[in-house]
Amino acid sequence: MPTDDPAGEDRDAGTDEPRVGWRMPVSTWWAGIEARESRTLVGLAAFGVAVALAVYVGWLNVSYVLPLLGLAGMFSLLTLGLNVQWGYTGLVNFSVIAFWGIGAYSAAMTTAGSGSPTGLELHPIVGLLAAVVLSATLATLIAIPTLRLRADYLAIATLGFAEIVRIVINNERDYTAGSAGIAGIPGLFAWVPSALRVPLPGATLRVALPRALVEFAVVASMVLFVYLFVRRLQLSPWGRVQRTIRADEDLAQALGKNTYRFKLQSFVLGSVIMALGGVASVHLFINFVSPDSLDPIRTFYVWIGVILGGSGSNRGAVLGGLVVVAIREAPTLVRDQLTDAVFPPRVLTDALAPLVSPSAVPVLDVGALFARLNVGALQLFLVGALVILIVRYRSEGLLPPKRELVWSAALEDDDA
Amino acid sequence: MSTTGLEYDGADLGKDALLRVEDLRKEFGGIVATDATLGVERGSLTGLIGPNGAGKSTLFNLVSGFLDPDAGRVYLDGVDVTDRRPDEIAQRGLLRTFQTPRTLEGMTVRESLLVAPFDQPGESILPLYFQPGSVTDTERELLGRAQQLLEAFEIDHLATTPSTELSGGQSKLVELARAMMTDPYVLLLDEPVAGVNPVLEAELTDHIRRLNDRGVTFLVIEHDMDFIMDIADPIIVLNQGRVLVEGSPEAVRTDERVLDAYLGGVS
Amino acid sequence: MVVDSHLVLGGDPVGAGVGLGALGPLPVAQMIALGPLPDAQMIALGLLPDAQLIANGLVFSSIIVLGSVGLSLVYDIADFPNFAHGDLMTVGAYATLAVGGFYVALPFPVAVVVGTAAATAVAVGTHWLVFDRMDVGPLELLIASIGVAFVYRAVLMQAFTSGSQSYDVGGRSPIPALRTVFDVALTYRQLVILAATVLLVVGLHVFLQYTTMGRKMRATSANGSLAKVSGIRTGRVVLVMWVVGGVLAAVGGVFLGLETLVRPRMGFDLLLVLFAAVILGGIGSVYGAMLGGVVIGMVHELTPWIPLVPTRYDKALAFLIMILILLVRPSGIMGGGTSR
Repeated sequence: MPTDDPAGEDRDAGTDEPRVGWRMPVSTWWAGIEARESRTLVGLAAFGVAVALAVYVGWLNVSYVLPLLGLAGMFSLLTLGLNVQWGYTGLVNFSVIAFWGIGAYSAAMTTAGSGSPTGLELHPIVGLLAAVVLSATLATLIAIPTLRLRADYLAIATLGFAEIVRIVINNERDYTAGSAGIAGIPGLFAWVPSALRVPLPGATLRVALPRALVEFAVVASMVLFVYLFVRRLQLSPWGRVQRTIRADEDLAQALGKNTYRFKLQSFVLGSVIMALGGVASVHLFINFVSPDSLDPIRTFYVWIGVILGGSGSNRGAVLGGLVVVAIREAPTLVRDQLTDAVFPPRVLTDALAPLVSPSAVPVLDVGALFARLNVGALQLFLVGALVILIVRYRSEGLLPPKRELVWSAALEDDDA
Repeated sequence: MSTTGLEYDGADLGKDALLRVEDLRKEFGGIVATDATLGVERGSLTGLIGPNGAGKSTLFNLVSGFLDPDAGRVYLDGVDVTDRRPDEIAQRGLLRTFQTPRTLEGMTVRESLLVAPFDQPGESILPLYFQPGSVTDTERELLGRAQQLLEAFEIDHLATTPSTELSGGQSKLVELARAMMTDPYVLLLDEPVAGVNPVLEAELTDHIRRLNDRGVTFLVIEHDMDFIMDIADPIIVLNQGRVLVEGSPEAVRTDERVLDAYLGGVS
Repeated sequence: MVVDSHLVLGGDPVGAGVGLGALGPLPVAQMIALGPLPDAQMIALGLLPDAQLIANGLVFSSIIVLGSVGLSLVYDIADFPNFAHGDLMTVGAYATLAVGGFYVALPFPVAVVVGTAAATAVAVGTHWLVFDRMDVGPLELLIASIGVAFVYRAVLMQAFTSGSQSYDVGGRSPIPALRTVFDVALTYRQLVILAATVLLVVGLHVFLQYTTMGRKMRATSANGSLAKVSGIRTGRVVLVMWVVGGVLAAVGGVFLGLETLVRPRMGFDLLLVLFAAVILGGIGSVYGAMLGGVVIGMVHELTPWIPLVPTRYDKALAFLIMILILLVRPSGIMGGGTSR
């Protein structure tokens, strides 16, 4: 919509800038938010309150919620990485979980002791460096032959690459332990007690799951760090060129941009972020990794997270991590919780007994119906159907990117 | 590099034609699309016309590096740019527009202007984190320049409009302004007034003339004969990939071969 | 679980050829001194792949050809790489299983016809319900096709369980005559697969070259917008393309099920090999896809004979060939110039 109001345009562009945001009164901040965004934020707040309440009254166990939030944070690292590739530049990477695996195995093979065939027991920093170098190198090797060609070649090559990574890890037993997986990866916070009671005068303070809390805090700060890192990229001239490539690569070339170089940077950077996610997840929550974790469906969980969160939006990508966990957990919840709690067979049978003949009652046993549900199949179906629907209805996602993305410091000082 | 993009630096560019095309040939499936030799003089506003399928757009794509020729050379300011990538040719000062206006989804008009200038410090990753000050300085300068250009083209009210919401004519103006952000020596315009209403067409004509007066060389494809005969001199007529006639608008208008080529194209 | 197709395809996996790598480097001087070797010796030295590997290769190639021709057709005419094509093969295999013993027990040949028809209906239905309704670019169609693949597989997993199954049909034993004459273990099943594939490929050739619809299809494939301008109803061409691609994929899926097992992931696992064949042949060339299918299928089964490459890396080899082709000749060995 054309606007003649210069103040309006500056406000629009400025809302993404924290220094402005912190100085702004809350009411101004809320007024600058678009309708869709505010609905999402309200929904998110309601969800948060509901979870907190459920934990408080004891419907949900902290030991169930906290690891899931940590998992959401881990997936957020992956969605942030994919958002750089797909959201900024329009690159289709079907190797997300393979790059996560490269990170996870780099860490596992360098730092694990007797649980790993290599048994190197090196410092975690070595694993981190190995993950960065290896993921960057492999990303470059896939990118070189494909990025000069039509965009769909990268999709095909990455699909193949993910398969190769899985085959190699499964087969090189002397290094990766094959399908058995590598155990005994050192947890970075093993020294934090897993349960803690603080004796206070007159009472004992029970801190729930201190280690899980610390680990969650670490993941959350990693997500925040990566978020701030990629957001600066997005608002920069670099991000502007990437957006131009995504919209129209020919035009970017006609404007003198070496699009190959930009696409390569975006692909490698996103892949390294994914590998970092892999390193983090084996040192934090579960100190074990096996080829089972490299199931291609996980790559598409991450895709759902990005496109449902809002392609090109970093806040959307962070939210996408939560979405992924919700989709993964929903089928199990449906089967386990609804089967027993909502549809106990006895209740239904008793309620329906006066209405139907006793012989027909077993047919209406909804609980049994849910119990027969193949959880794997339902997860797959959810992912597939969501992908189709999002693409079909050209959904912008829950938190689409801002209308204009500008290096805000330039705008701000311009006014001053 | 000038600060506004409106003045032409007038650097010494040699004595020959600014853009020379020698025996440039391209076939598609055995059919010759282009096989032409032509030159565009420095500071001229050259028109390129011809019936449909004469090879005009193919020639543009060959010159700007989007297609690789089967044979022949392209010289820009005496330098052979035949096998150069499109972005390298653009960086040498030859900018082109596209027949169908390219709209940048997800970007505002202002953003789409800011992306144009070459070699911005913020286009590399490291300065963003280690020299954010220099990035900010450049951005501020570019924002000022974009604002000046938007005002000069009388589209400053569209600065924060999403590119996808522009009319056809507005897109053409934005394209021209965007190209000027890079201080080009040569501008190749592919049908600049196609689908543009008469008022905007008059505006575009003025802008092109003004830029030409300031030293920018133009090569313009256009099917609108009134427009091209009014604005361009000389005019090159392509037919079946070859140069049929080259001369002043009057000479072209009265040349029977041109009439024959167009009638042949119609029937 | 991934079933190693070698174990099932190879009649004699242990004795199936010895790689040069296993023998270690052979001094060139010694080889020259030996003079021309009789065939048996060449085979023993790993210089020629033995007949068994070639037979396995031909059978596997047949399956790849059936899959890659359809994939190439869709890629070319609908202009996007259909990542659901492998799972369409799975649908064909399961549809045949459903009427060939799982739910109903029709005679196997009838079951194949019914199953193929059902899978083709699924392909056409997907086109109508999903792809045809989308007003989006090729990249978005590509992403949506992954969703389609998952929905196919999810439904099959719910209906048929996640486990492996096999067709209740005979023909598993090697043909005695071939065994004694050529020392090749080729089962009756495999012979049927080879013969049926040749028939289908010849049929497709006749269809493309000698029928009006086939010619329209080739015209649309060469230049979609031009075909539209010259009055070809591209909508019908696209429909016929899905039918042809669906039939070939379904039959290919059944053959894959006969050779290995019927599993929910059988088609998805084959996708990489199919794409390698299509890219090797050149996107947009049906005949290229056939040639690519044969080459990739042979290489896949000849891995034991190729020095330095362990058998378990047969898929990696297909991937490597694909990457090399993209590096040196992105338009493929028989393709035009559609690399950009």
